[in-house]
Amino acid sequence: MVLQPSERYHRDWSHRRLGPWCSPTGSPAPLSCETGCGEGSWILVCRLLVPTQVSLLSMEEDIDTRKINNSFLRDHSYATEADIISTVEFNHTGELLATGDKGGRVVIFQREQESKNQVHRRGEYNVYSTFQSHEPEFDYLKSLEIEEKINKIRWLPQQNAAYFLLSTNDKTVKLWKVSERDKRPEGYNLKDEEGRLRDPATITTLRVPVLRPMDLMVEATPRRVFANAHTYHINSISVNSDYETYMSADDLRINLWNFEITNQSFNIVDIKPANMEELTEVITAAEFHPHHCNSFVYSSSKGTIRLCDMRASALCDRHSKFFEEPEDPSNRSFFSEIISSISDVKFSHSGRYIMTRDYLTVKVWDLNMENRPIETYQVHDYLRSKLCSLYENDCIFDKFECVWNGSDSVIMTGSYNNFFRMFDRNTKRDVTLEASRENSKPRAILKPRKVCVGGKRRKDEISVDSLDFSKKILHTAWHPSENIIAVAATNNLYIFQDKVN
Amino acid sequence: MFQDLVTANLAAKGTMVGGLKRKHSDLEEEEEVEKWDWGPAGLRSYQQALLRISLDKVQRSLGPRAPSLRRHVLIHNTLQQLQAALCLAPAPTLPPEPLFLGEEDFSLSATIGSILRELETSMDETEPPQNPVAPPGPQNEVLPQPDPVFLEALSSRYLGDSGLDDFFLDIDTSAVEKEPALAPPEPPHNLFCAPGSWEWNELDHIMEIILGS
Repeated sequence: MVLQPSERYHRDWSHRRLGPWCSPTGSPAPLSCETGCGEGSWILVCRLLVPTQVSLLSMEEDIDTRKINNSFLRDHSYATEADIISTVEFNHTGELLATGDKGGRVVIFQREQESKNQVHRRGEYNVYSTFQSHEPEFDYLKSLEIEEKINKIRWLPQQNAAYFLLSTNDKTVKLWKVSERDKRPEGYNLKDEEGRLRDPATITTLRVPVLRPMDLMVEATPRRVFANAHTYHINSISVNSDYETYMSADDLRINLWNFEITNQSFNIVDIKPANMEELTEVITAAEFHPHHCNSFVYSSSKGTIRLCDMRASALCDRHSKFFEEPEDPSNRSFFSEIISSISDVKFSHSGRYIMTRDYLTVKVWDLNMENRPIETYQVHDYLRSKLCSLYENDCIFDKFECVWNGSDSVIMTGSYNNFFRMFDRNTKRDVTLEASRENSKPRAILKPRKVCVGGKRRKDEISVDSLDFSKKILHTAWHPSENIIAVAATNNLYIFQDKVN
Repeated sequence: MFQDLVTANLAAKGTMVGGLKRKHSDLEEEEEVEKWDWGPAGLRSYQQALLRISLDKVQRSLGPRAPSLRRHVLIHNTLQQLQAALCLAPAPTLPPEPLFLGEEDFSLSATIGSILRELETSMDETEPPQNPVAPPGPQNEVLPQPDPVFLEALSSRYLGDSGLDDFFLDIDTSAVEKEPALAPPEPPHNLFCAPGSWEWNELDHIMEIILGS
C-alpha cells in the first residue's frame, strides 16, 4: 500500500519554532589557507590505529581514555575486519576528527594543543573518545542481519561546551553527546564516600557538597535514537543549515528529521516504483545546501543529480534542477552505466558548486548549468580498459568519496593501491600520493606517485597490473580551514599536513 | 579472470578469436582494448561470459545480510543490456555449443527478473516498525499524531493469518515438497528450456539456491 500525497502528514512540528526557511546563524570561519597541491609539499603528521583494546575496556567502566590510548598507538597486529574505518569527518573547527568503523565504533581524535615546548607536536591528533555507537542486529521477520558498520558521521555545529554528532548504520541514526567532565561532587549527606546510602538516623550534621577537580573524563552518551524509518540501507545523512533538522537517505527514500523528535520523520523523496520490477535507479548520496536550508541535492546510480527545493512541495519527487552529462558514444560499453553511478556528492563551501564522484572521474558542476559539468578530472583512467576484470572482482562497485578543501580550490579523492589524488582547480595541476606504512616516518615528505600506463616503466613508477586493488582509499576528509587531511586506509588513519602550514 | 574464461573456452575448441590464433599472453594485451574488433564469435563469447559472471553475482548476493540494492540494480541493468545485445547479434556460424541462443536469452532474463523480484520482495516493507514512543511532554506540547510514512505497510495483509499465507503464496515450494518421484519444478510457460539442457540445469541450480536460502 502506498500512501497518496494527501495522506502524508504535514511538516508541522508546531511545538517548535515554525517559520519560513531560515538563514543560518553565524557564518563560516574565514579561510586563510593557501593551497598546497604541488610536489613534495605534504608531510605525514601521524598514523593512527583504531585502538581495539581501549574500546573493550571503555565498555566496562569509565576511564580516562586519553591516557591509555597513547600507549596503544603502536604498530601491532590487532587489526580485524571490525577495525576497518568506514567513515571520516572533521568537525566544524577542525579540532576534532571522528572515525567510524565496521565494528560499529566511533573513535574521536582531538588535535594537540599548541605548546611552546613542543611546537612540532601541533597538528597531531590523539584519541579523545571511543564508544560503541551501533550493535549488530537481526531482523527476525526478514531473516536478515543488520550490520553495525558506521556508514556516515556528521558533526553538529558546537553550541555549548559539549560536542554533538550524528552516526548511522544501515537502519538507525543516533545523536551522540560527547562531553568532558573534570570535576566531581564530593561531600554528599545521604551517601558515603563509596556511594553507599547512609542511614538517615546516623546523620547529625549537614554539609554542602563541593565540586573537586578530577582527572579529565570524556563521556559519550546517546541522546536520540532515530530508528525504524528506513526500509533500505541508509547511505547519507546531512545536517541542515538551520541546525534544527537533518535528512537521512537510503536507496529509495529520503527522510527529514527534527533533532528533538525521534518517533516521526517526513518523507521528502520517494523514488520507489509501484512495481519493483521497474526499478532501475537508486539514490546513492544526498546533501543539504550549506546555506539555503530549503535546498538539497541527491545523486543516483545512473549518474544524475537532482536539486530539490522543499518549499515547492511536501514531497520533492519533482526536482528543481536536473544535472546530467550526455554520454560519450565513443566510450560506450556494457559498463557505462555502472561507472557513471555517482558514489558521492558534495556541495562546495560556497554553495555555488557541487562535486560528484563516479568510478573513474570527479566532476564539478555549477548549480547554474545543468547540461554538463564545468570541470572533469580523471582519477584513474587507466582502469577503463580493465573494467571487465573490475566487474568480475566487484571493485567496480566501490564507492569512493570526494572532498573539497576549505577554500574550494582543491578537491581530493581516493583510488587503489592506497593512492589518493588531489586536483588544484586553479592551476589544473594534480598529484597522486600514497598512504602507506612504508612512508610512515613522522614528518616524512610524501613523494608523488605515478602509474605507468604503457611503454617503458620508469624506476619510480608502478604499472597498472601491479596495483593492489584490495588497498583502496574510500574515505578522506579535509580540515575546514587548514591544509590538514585525514586519509583512511583499512584500519589506519593517516593525517597529512601541508609543510608550508 | 575474464580472459581465462574466454580463452579457455575458445582455445579448448581450437576456436580462433578475431580470425587469429593467439597465445594467452597476447590475448591479455589485447584485452586492454575492449573496443578491439573481436569478430562475431569472439564478441558473442565475451557477452556470454559477462552473462555468466553477472548470474554468478546474483547467486552470490543471496546471504544472511540484505543485499545491496544499488549493486543489484546495476547488475540487473547490465544483464538487460547483455540480453538485448545477445538477441540482436547474428547467430554464430560455429557449431552450437551449450550457450545461449535466440529465445533462450529471453527465458533466462525472465528468470533473472523473477530472481530479482524475489529479492526485492524480501526487502520490501513487511511490518510496521513499532517505535518506542518518547515520553510525552506536557499536554499542551503533544502533537496530533499523524501516521508516520513507514506505517504504510501496516495493513491487514501483514497482520492477519491470511496475510502470512498470502506472503508465502508467491514462493514456489514444488521443488521441496515430498513427491513420489523427484520431478524437477514445473517451469513457467514462457520458459523455452529443454529439461536436461545446460540452461535447464543452470535455472534449476538458481532456484535451488533461492529456495534453500
